[in-house]
Amino acid sequence: MARIINQIRRLRFDHGEMTQEELAQRAGCTRQTIIALEQGKYVPSIELAFKIAKAFGVSLEEVFQYEE
Amino acid sequence: MAPLQKRALFTLIIGVAFAIALIVVFILEGDITAFNQEKAFRWIVYAALIGVPLTYLILIDLTLRKPTQLDERDRLIMQRSGRIQWLAVIFSLAAWMIILTEVYQEQRQVPVVFLTLIFISTLIISILAQSLGILIGYWRANRNG
Repeated sequence: MARIINQIRRLRFDHGEMTQEELAQRAGCTRQTIIALEQGKYVPSIELAFKIAKAFGVSLEEVFQYEE
Repeated sequence: MAPLQKRALFTLIIGVAFAIALIVVFILEGDITAFNQEKAFRWIVYAALIGVPLTYLILIDLTLRKPTQLDERDRLIMQRSGRIQWLAVIFSLAAWMIILTEVYQEQRQVPVVFLTLIFISTLIISILAQSLGILIGYWRANRNG
């Protein structure tokens, strides 16, 4: 089964222990959505995925990967 | 707990309390036709009819206005709750239709008060079902993703 995984938790750690709240504010979503993303319980829209990547200053592929 | 989830829970509690209060008032009045006879009672119900949806609109609107309080995941859950809301309304209307048809079959006419009661109950059920749908949506999202 194909699924989309993400590196949000690691990237937050790499960016000076960025808090979930801070990332949520930068990406324009709620903290609950960041929690759901980190737990792999939600797949974001393309727009939100780009916003999260932009918040970290990295490319989309560095945050999200497609696994088969 | 997400802001929308909190609002839904709050709305559900208020809605259930209001529905119980309304049922108690009708029971205390003793007769359903008291609604037609007592002007004060009618005004209380009318005030509630405007007050409840207004409170609901304010509560939801306050949430929707802040972008950091409501995002795409919340909107998705809210959209899905519409199905539960729709089903609840259809079932409540069906229940009213069956009950009134069976009870007033002999008389061949239904008291006017039931128009208001059908409206009030549908309104309350619609609001409660949406709140319940939102809470179920969050529960399912947190459980299964």
